[in-house]
Amino acid sequence: MEAKYDFERKYREQILQCSRCGFCQAVCPVYGLTLRPALNARGKMLLLKEVMDGKIELNDELIETLFQCTTCASCTENCPSGVEVPEIIKQVRKDMVHIGSCHPAFKGMNEVLKSHTNIYAEDEPEDFERERNKKAEYVYFIGCVGSYREDESTMSTLDLLDRLNVDYTLIDEACCSGVLEDVGYQINEDLAQKNIENILGTDAKIVITECPYCFRTFNNKPQYAALRENGIKVVHISQFLKDLDFHVKTDKRVTYHDPCDLGRHCGIYEEPREIIRKIASDFVEMPHHHVDALCCGAGGGVRGAFAKNSIGMARRRLEEAEEIGAEVILTECNSCVHNLSNAKLRKQKFKIYNITHFINELMEEA
Amino acid sequence: MEIQGYNMPDELYYEENHFWVRDDGDVLTMGMDDFAQKMAQEIVYVQLPDEGKALKVGKKFAKVESGKWLGKVFAPVNGELVAVNEELETDPGLINEDCYGKGWMYQIKPDDKGEVNNLIHGPEAVEKWVLEDIEKYSKE
Repeated sequence: MEAKYDFERKYREQILQCSRCGFCQAVCPVYGLTLRPALNARGKMLLLKEVMDGKIELNDELIETLFQCTTCASCTENCPSGVEVPEIIKQVRKDMVHIGSCHPAFKGMNEVLKSHTNIYAEDEPEDFERERNKKAEYVYFIGCVGSYREDESTMSTLDLLDRLNVDYTLIDEACCSGVLEDVGYQINEDLAQKNIENILGTDAKIVITECPYCFRTFNNKPQYAALRENGIKVVHISQFLKDLDFHVKTDKRVTYHDPCDLGRHCGIYEEPREIIRKIASDFVEMPHHHVDALCCGAGGGVRGAFAKNSIGMARRRLEEAEEIGAEVILTECNSCVHNLSNAKLRKQKFKIYNITHFINELMEEA
Repeated sequence: MEIQGYNMPDELYYEENHFWVRDDGDVLTMGMDDFAQKMAQEIVYVQLPDEGKALKVGKKFAKVESGKWLGKVFAPVNGELVAVNEELETDPGLINEDCYGKGWMYQIKPDDKGEVNNLIHGPEAVEKWVLEDIEKYSKE
C-alpha cells in the first residue's frame, strides 16, 4: 500500500525500529513535567505506527501530542535503536500542516513572517544605539529573541564586543526563519534573501551570532548556501570568544546550562566551558550536563504554543541549579535565558545570564 | 462601566497602556485592565521585582508576557514598590480570570498621591480613550 504521508515515506523504517524500551521516557523534558506517556518519543512513535497502520487518522486530535516536543534530541541521544525523533517530528508536523491540522500559534507565526521581519510581529526594532549595515570585519547577528525579548543581554554583548575592539556591524536583520522548519512550514525565502544581501553588503567574512538556532540555520540550510558560496563563515559567539582573555574573575559559584541547539544539535560543549573556566574559579556542573543536559523547555516552538509547560520544564532545570548551590547560571542562548528567567522563582536568588552578558558585567565592575 | 464588551470600572484610574490603579489609602494597587488582558490572551509570565524598588513615573519597571506578546509595565506615579502579588508567580492566569481582583499585580506607596489625577479617570474620559483604542487595535 502506498504511503499516505511523507513522514512514512521517509521514516517508516525508523519508526518501526523503535523497540518501545522507554529509555527516551527517562530523559524527555515534556514527559518529565507532564508524566504523560503519549508525550514522550516512544508514545509519539506508537501513535505514528498506528497512523501508518491506518488505525488512527492524522488530524487535529494529535496536535497537542505531536506539536508538543521541544526537539531537544535527548531521546535520540539515548535511543539504542537510533531513532532520529526530532527529524521525524518535524516531518510529521509538515504533513499535518499540509492537511490543515496545525497548532494555531505556529500557523500564526508563519503568517506573521509573511508581513514582518520577526516572529513577534514587532514593528519597531531596538536600535541598540549602533550603526547598521556598515562595512566591517564581522557581522553580529542578534536574532529575534535577542532583539525583542532579551535586549538587555544583547546590549551587554555588544558592549563587550566594543570593549574587545571587535570591528563589527549590525545589519537590518530579518528572522532567519529556521524555526518554521520545526513547526510544519518552510524557511521564508524572502527573509533569507534579505539576510544574505545585507550580510554580503558589509564585506564581512565572518558572521558572529549568539543564537544557536540562527547559527544552525545559516550553516545547515540550503536557503543560506549563498553565504557559504561567498566564503562567509558563521560562528557562534562562544567559538569567537574562547581564545580571548578577559582579565576578570568571579568567586561566585557558577554553572552552565547547555542549550540543546548548541550542544546536542551542534556538538558545541567545550567552548563555553573554556570561557567560563577563565572567569570563574568555582565552576560546578549540574547533575545533567553536556549531552545529558536537561532541556529548558523553550525549543521546537513549545514556548510559543505551550508556554505554561515550557516554563514548567525550565523550573525543573532550575531545581538542578539550586541543588548544586549555584549563584550564577550561565548559558549561550537567548531563548534559554528568556525561558529560565521567566521560570525563576523569587525565592531563588541565583542570576541567569548569557556568558557574554556576565563577562561584560564583570568588566564593568572591575 | 462596560464599553463594547470590556469591563472598565468607573472608580479606577487608568494608565494609558491599560493598567488600572486603585486608591487604597496609603497605597495604590495596580493591575492589568480587562481590555489588555483580553487583547493579550493567556498571560504566562509576570515579572515581580523586589519590594523597595523605586518607581519613576513613566519608566518601565516590569514585564508581562502572554504566548507571543510582551508588555512593558510603566510606573503610573513616582513612588516605591511595596508589594507584589506572589500568586502570579505560579498562576499568572489569575489576571485573565479576575483582572480587578485576584489578578492584582503591584502595590505602590506614592510620593504624592495627587499624581493619580494625571491618569485617565471618569466615565467620559475612559469611554473616549477605550473607544479610540478599540478602533486603533482593530486596524492592526
